[in-house]
Amino acid sequence: MEMQTLKKIKELTATVMVTALLLIFMFSSSIVDGRQIKSTTEGCCRPDVLIIDSAKIFGDLERQPVLFFHDKHTDALEKKDKDCRTCHLSEKDRLSPKFKRFNDAGRQEVMDIYHSGCMGCHTEMYAEKDKTGPVEICGECHRDKVKVQSSRQPMGFDQSLHFRHLKATGDKCERCHHEYDEKTKKLFYAEGKEGTCRYCHMAEAEKNRIPMRVASHLFCIDCHRKTRASGKAKNKIAGPVKCAGCHDFDKQQLIKKVKDVPRIKRKQPDVVLIRAAGKGTSGKTSGGQMNPVPMDHKAHEKYNDTCRACHHESLDSCSECHTLAGTKEGKDVKLERAMHQIGTTKSCIGCHELRYGDKKCAGCHAFIQNGQKQSKLSCFRCHMESLQPDTEAVQQPEAVASGLLGSRKALAGTYADEDIPEKIIIGELIYEYEPVGFPHKKIIDSLLQNIKDSQLTNYFHSEKGVICQACHHNSPISKKPPRCVSCHGKTFDEANLLRPGLQAAYHRQCMGCHKEMSIEKPKSTECNDCHKATGKSRLYD
Amino acid sequence: MPKEATTANRSFSNSFGYAAEELSKTFLSPLGIVAGIIVILGLIITVLRFTGGLAAVTNLSDYNPWGIWIGFDLLTGVALAAGGFVTSAAVYIFGMKKYHSAVRPAVLTGFLGYVLVVVALHYDVGRPWRLPYPFILQQGTTSILFEVGACVALYLTVLFLEFCPAALEWLGLKKVRDLVIKLTMVLTIFGVILSTLHQSSLGALFLIARSKLHPLWYSSYLPVFFFISSIIAGLSMVIFESTLSHRYFLHKMDAAHLDEREGVTLGFGKAASFVLAGYFIVKVIGISEGNHWHLLATPYGIWFLVELFVFVALPCYLYAIGTRDKNQRLIKFTAVWTVLGVVLNRLNVSLVAFNWHLPAADRYFPHWMEIAISIFLVTVGIIAFRVIVSVMPIFYEHPDFRKNH
Amino acid sequence: MSVSRRKVLVWMGTAGLSTAFGRSAYSATNHLKGYPDSFGVLYDNMLCIGCRSCEAACNIVNALPPPARPFNDLSVLDSNRRTDPKAFMVINRYDHVENTKSPLHQRIGCNHCLEPACASSCFVRAYTKTKTGAVSYDASVCVGCRYCMIACPFDIPTFEYDKALAPRIRKCTMCYPRLIEGKLPGCVVACPTQALTFGKRTDLIKMARERIRKRPDRYVDHIYGQHEMGGTSWLYLSGDPFKEMGMREDLGITPAPEMTKRALGAVPIVAGIWPVLLTGIYAMTKRKEKIAKEEQEKAIAMALDQAKAEAESKIAEALAKAKKEKEAAIEKEVKKALEKTTGTQAKEDA
Repeated sequence: MEMQTLKKIKELTATVMVTALLLIFMFSSSIVDGRQIKSTTEGCCRPDVLIIDSAKIFGDLERQPVLFFHDKHTDALEKKDKDCRTCHLSEKDRLSPKFKRFNDAGRQEVMDIYHSGCMGCHTEMYAEKDKTGPVEICGECHRDKVKVQSSRQPMGFDQSLHFRHLKATGDKCERCHHEYDEKTKKLFYAEGKEGTCRYCHMAEAEKNRIPMRVASHLFCIDCHRKTRASGKAKNKIAGPVKCAGCHDFDKQQLIKKVKDVPRIKRKQPDVVLIRAAGKGTSGKTSGGQMNPVPMDHKAHEKYNDTCRACHHESLDSCSECHTLAGTKEGKDVKLERAMHQIGTTKSCIGCHELRYGDKKCAGCHAFIQNGQKQSKLSCFRCHMESLQPDTEAVQQPEAVASGLLGSRKALAGTYADEDIPEKIIIGELIYEYEPVGFPHKKIIDSLLQNIKDSQLTNYFHSEKGVICQACHHNSPISKKPPRCVSCHGKTFDEANLLRPGLQAAYHRQCMGCHKEMSIEKPKSTECNDCHKATGKSRLYD
Repeated sequence: MPKEATTANRSFSNSFGYAAEELSKTFLSPLGIVAGIIVILGLIITVLRFTGGLAAVTNLSDYNPWGIWIGFDLLTGVALAAGGFVTSAAVYIFGMKKYHSAVRPAVLTGFLGYVLVVVALHYDVGRPWRLPYPFILQQGTTSILFEVGACVALYLTVLFLEFCPAALEWLGLKKVRDLVIKLTMVLTIFGVILSTLHQSSLGALFLIARSKLHPLWYSSYLPVFFFISSIIAGLSMVIFESTLSHRYFLHKMDAAHLDEREGVTLGFGKAASFVLAGYFIVKVIGISEGNHWHLLATPYGIWFLVELFVFVALPCYLYAIGTRDKNQRLIKFTAVWTVLGVVLNRLNVSLVAFNWHLPAADRYFPHWMEIAISIFLVTVGIIAFRVIVSVMPIFYEHPDFRKNH
Repeated sequence: MSVSRRKVLVWMGTAGLSTAFGRSAYSATNHLKGYPDSFGVLYDNMLCIGCRSCEAACNIVNALPPPARPFNDLSVLDSNRRTDPKAFMVINRYDHVENTKSPLHQRIGCNHCLEPACASSCFVRAYTKTKTGAVSYDASVCVGCRYCMIACPFDIPTFEYDKALAPRIRKCTMCYPRLIEGKLPGCVVACPTQALTFGKRTDLIKMARERIRKRPDRYVDHIYGQHEMGGTSWLYLSGDPFKEMGMREDLGITPAPEMTKRALGAVPIVAGIWPVLLTGIYAMTKRKEKIAKEEQEKAIAMALDQAKAEAESKIAEALAKAKKEKEAAIEKEVKKALEKTTGTQAKEDA
């Protein structure tokens, strides 16, 4: 009997094991793949996220830094008619940006201030049965895993905002613009020397200069707060006081933009003659310079939102720091590079090149290699030959500049209508498709239309035949440019590796331009939009 | 007392009747009916396979060209049929005469196993009638598969020749039988060489798919892993097969067989324990070679640890305990567990770790017809085994040839 | 069974001979650079407009059956596809791209590797890397084992699973029949913008480098296929990272044959050493048995001798003892008789 039961137990165990294994096998093939699963928590985003890690200046932090939502707190306090001074101590009518203190005395002190300050308030509110923050448990503030991300957008002060502030303060520049006197240790207004805050207030604190972040918050918000409190704000609109008001993307879109901002009055020149200052060289080298470059400063002021786009360090003239040989103040960036470097808005050509990406321009300019060295003659477009002697340029630069600028010819359009074919029948490859009726003049007219509104495009396309160059490339500017078939032939030409075949040349040129200019019709994948199919195919031969 | 085989009732012509009697007994039992259903189903699916193509009976796809017909029937089948070379090596090369009675059953299991592997291959490849092409037409000697094919073909011949004496004794062909017996030594050595080569090459098959195998299972030591685990599988299969045979074929066994039986279990269990220990170490070396320790913390890593600890370390330990305590039952249980472990390992390499990076929609799970054919082939193997041991001197010594030992 | 000297020599000879077969293990390595003038195709997805003309051409040239949805149905690109028996090459579209305004495309099809994994893995040499650079497939010897599908790191070969009697592997042929006639591959001819450029592989690499140099803002600075898996004849340029175009960037630069070199090289060594090793073990086992047998016999003989000697000494002892007893008994009797005689004499005298 015993043998029988033993046998049965054995068989049962075997069955169970096999079944279990089978199940394990079945599920193993659909096992979650072994790669680390990164959870992309979209538990999103707020613009008012601050990271409290003040104690880190005293050494490594023991716990995770705390994520603090500033607007949440200001809103909660507002409901109780409490204002900034609940948390920010004030001294001589200036608020300290730090929480309930003016400076960081020591690690323990800072920690105690935060703990007693935060948890104390929370405890009070809890007692009043208000929804409030953590009270006791360390991990509720010092969280390991954080799901909220900061969506803070940087805030900038552009010409429109500046104008609105001018109006609000009644054109009193001294309200905001100041300099610091090291001797008296006081701020004072220096007329004629106003510039952007960022010229002095950097990202990090420096000697006698608070960082930009502190400066902007202390200054701007303080004024906004006071304006609101005084009730003098026009239409009860004063600037934002909460984080979201400046740093939230959506709120930023709501900021009123003034069109046609009147010119800032800073006694800036209307025209400038850009030439090397002569500083920085040893002075022992003799000889002259290239032709100076006239620049319409007044027009350029409108092209950018801020002056800093070009005046990135100060409102002085570029050649003060960027000399021919380069200076230490200019970080050894020579004048040549400061004027011509591609890839940055700070240089003339760099900023001009950025216009290539514009939808109106990209059709032609996408095909021109980045930073392609222009023909040497093109230097003279800017370095204009002057009839005035050089001494004149030194003594009366502005007059010379005005004269040169005035002598520039506006866009003369291009060749006469009779010289430009209205329509071109492209019939070189006609086996699978019928010849293409190419609306040649129509395209040129629309290109001219795109160019005519901007002084920049006007000037650089003022020579007739320049706009032909995008399609009629790799050939001299001429009223009779070569045809595509003159150079483009076989699909695979060993002698000319980089040259596409004729079919590809047509398609790349046309389709490429359409794509860059976001032209919907004709559609690249709709062959019949440009040419009708004949029904034949080269592949059948 | 087992019935002594006499010449009278073991003659060739009588045997057929006897075999028929055995078979009819088989088929009329409940197990027999189940087997019959499986066989009929298998035959139907075979017809479907060769009229409708692989698409009609499998879940194979362009991402998963090899399914359980390769993963189980081929890879696992070859591993489990390794008992042949292990046993004959132990007895003839290492001179362990006390396992002599285990040789013929092991060789028979091996031979039938390899025959079924080849039959299964005919189901899987697109044009099975072209299987001789690599040997007679164009030799793809850069391919590991060529080497597998050549060694398996040769080894099948070796196994056939090793199995022959039993059949020849049954047929009464004394001269031929004596000639074949003289080849035993050469065949055994040749068999070990060929087994080493093809067992390891089955692992080497996956070396070329480095980008498709999970790093924990992929290693440049894959051939070594497969070879060592085949020895383990062989040792365990001999114990397992002996357990089953003792239940169902006890009446066929002679005194020597019965006496030696416990010694075989103990001895093979002890050997298996050692080899499993070595295998465990080698697997750990494999992880450290690739510095894949951090992968052990992933879901696949946990599965790998299950395979390593539950199916390698645990049987190693259980075998050791069983051997020390001379616990036959424990060793027999562990043998089954170990065989399952080898099956798991082969399926892991070929189906679970392969294409691990693909999304779930592109992964493979066998079609029920594929599983049915695999079960069908195993059933046919069992039936063949049963018929052969009934009529041929596998579990006993033929009285006419006893003096030749 | 004893092992004669002759047998050992024969076995060693066989072992040595077996090492002579098989090519040198070093031939399958060292990063072959391909045939000198072999061709390739450069696919530039910044020029591709996703028109599927290449797919249509491939279909025509290879006489494939017409697809379920026509080639000018671009909604097919809404989902990513892989090659299958009726499509040797597919174009996939990727919408969320960083670099340009429009979606980018990618071509998926056989890359005609310089050292193809399929050719290395085929046990019947159905694949050939031709001098033109194309990797050709010979269906007349293929057994249908599908090992090439396991081996291909790009998952390209497809199998006609639904054919029962003559299933083939299908893949891009680089239009090899057209190439040897001096014509261009169908897809290259059909592409309107020459996003597919044909040429010598070395020239294509120069061309690709030049395109990247001219527009570094547009192209990822990498020519896919230049080194991947030892180099491929199809090269790719992309505006977005290749990983996002469905191209694996973790394949490494080791060519596939290199991965099996060691295992293949072990075969002749095993075939050489094992016979010696196993025969040696067998010989040693046999020798041990023989010595054990001899020692056993010696021990038995010694034991027998010892027993014999013991028995003999025991008998000698017993005989000596018996003799002594006999003499003692005789003496006793003689003494008794003498005493008896002396007694009778004394009585007569009195």
